[in-house]
Amino acid sequence: MSAFWYYVFTLLFFLFDYFILAMGLNIQYGETGILNFAYIGFVAIGAYVTGAVSMPDSAGTGQHYILGLNIPFPINLIIGGLTASALALIVALISLRRLRTDYLAMVLISLSLVLYDICNNFVPLFNGADGLYNVPEPMAGVLKLTTNSFVPFFAGVAGVVALIMWFLMSRITRSPLGRTFRAIRDDAGVASALGKGVFRYQLTSMLIGSFYAGVGGGLIIQFGGSFNPSAWLPGETFVIFAVIIVGGVGNNIGMIAGSLLVETLLVHLPAFLPSIPSHPGLIEYVDAMVIGILLMVMLWFRPQGMIPERIRRSPISASTPLSSVTAVAARAGAEPLSTVEEGGAS
Amino acid sequence: MTDQESRGSSDEMILTCEGLTKAFLGVKAVNGATFEVPKGKITALIGPNGAGKTTVVNILSGAMTSDSGTTHIGSTDVTNWPSYKIARLGLMRTFQLSRELGDLTVLENLLVAPKHQPGESLVNIFLRPSLVKRVECENVERALGILQTYGLYDLRDNRARELSGGQKKLLEISRGVMASPTLLLLDEPMAGVNPALIERIGGYILDLKAQGVTVLMIEHNLNVVEKICDHVIVLAEGKTLATGRLSDLRANPEVVTAYLGEVINASTHS
Repeated sequence: MSAFWYYVFTLLFFLFDYFILAMGLNIQYGETGILNFAYIGFVAIGAYVTGAVSMPDSAGTGQHYILGLNIPFPINLIIGGLTASALALIVALISLRRLRTDYLAMVLISLSLVLYDICNNFVPLFNGADGLYNVPEPMAGVLKLTTNSFVPFFAGVAGVVALIMWFLMSRITRSPLGRTFRAIRDDAGVASALGKGVFRYQLTSMLIGSFYAGVGGGLIIQFGGSFNPSAWLPGETFVIFAVIIVGGVGNNIGMIAGSLLVETLLVHLPAFLPSIPSHPGLIEYVDAMVIGILLMVMLWFRPQGMIPERIRRSPISASTPLSSVTAVAARAGAEPLSTVEEGGAS
Repeated sequence: MTDQESRGSSDEMILTCEGLTKAFLGVKAVNGATFEVPKGKITALIGPNGAGKTTVVNILSGAMTSDSGTTHIGSTDVTNWPSYKIARLGLMRTFQLSRELGDLTVLENLLVAPKHQPGESLVNIFLRPSLVKRVECENVERALGILQTYGLYDLRDNRARELSGGQKKLLEISRGVMASPTLLLLDEPMAGVNPALIERIGGYILDLKAQGVTVLMIEHNLNVVEKICDHVIVLAEGKTLATGRLSDLRANPEVVTAYLGEVINASTHS
């Protein structure tokens, strides 16, 4: 496989993976209004756990890590996602009950820093600053994949996983549950006054979004074969926020547009450009500036994103005659419109 | 009609609060409010600005906790319950400044309201899709009927934030109706509304009463109170000053001094 196609499939992998990550953050922030500034921490836990459960026992590997259970794909990926959800459960029980918006955001960003420090410094957990490496390539042995053929294969696997997770997420966001999430995002006080236990729904949203984060992280460590703290600096959360804000908050299709523009074209494509000898690292710095400027431009001129949240129209067309609805109203015990217009205080 | 007659007998009370207090940084907004709301009737909560009416409604609906005092819905002690638990007992409310769910459509605002929707459970979404769909269809039909009743049918697919002030008032009431309330708290439903719409909203409230819904409404428009309310509670300085029919309260010197005097004077000068 030529270098060109290697790059293309690598970019495709990151497109699919960040689509999954963006959907997870979107259900938390875009649908439910939870400012989860610790999102990258859930991605990291998913990555570490997926890697650690798929690796052999750490004795003799030259690494220090927990688990080491030789669990194959995709069970390891599901375990990674569930572990991220379990972490979300603990975080939500501590923080979501009493904190809202900006205070919650501060607690979560602090949590992200704490998680980072623990993973970076507590070596027995996930090998400290060196992170995990030599993570087995899923199904490479069974399918006799080489390093070259694994890249397009796993990009395809990521595409299939992304498609399944998009289907599942669409079912959720289109359901009454998704509508209640959006009601809470718009005004949690009103939702509560309508009998909705806001905490329960926010917790559900946190668990779903964190599962997506964990799965996304799990795919990353299996694709690259390694994962260490330099891959998940707390600031990475804001790149995923940029993906959903540029793509269109509250719109799953917008997530793939945001992933394509921000993550694939602005973050990963420049990494393949030849560096400028006199200014090493310049491309990365310019890259970060471009993302920041893009985020500000979008928030200023098009806050709804490239593909805005769609209006969920009623299942009947605008031309449906009132008479047919009158029959519906009669069944519901309501008064016909004509009577209402004539009625008044009497 | 006496106070007892306007309220009905004591075993028909749907809401009872006793000795409610609430202070903000030492300022007592509610200072021992005690009253009862008769079942199946329209009760007005009136009083001068700053009397603590909205704070009382916030406490009753669970949006705020009281510093002391008790609240009962029927025989259930709901003192300082969270609002979602109180709402599940059938108490719905509207807000002084309309609080529509702005990014949701008008229809969706109503569809959020029904309690215990199977589609709000992840398990049902994936394992019992036919049940979710059936209940959703029933809710859509019922919501469209209510929207038609309240004159919002043509606006069903508009985002709620695009509505006018009067339409938002109607939306809040219809959203409350969609939740099948037994008790509806309306916080100034006629405020900022044109006279024709005041007539319509008054008609809707009477219709709700006819359907067995109890209404407690904060209202400054005494013509409306006179026309549609069976029972009136007067609050002043956070305390219950008097209760009864408005016609009887007009003869009460305390009520005239605290509230009615200024309303009558204001209407005389205007």
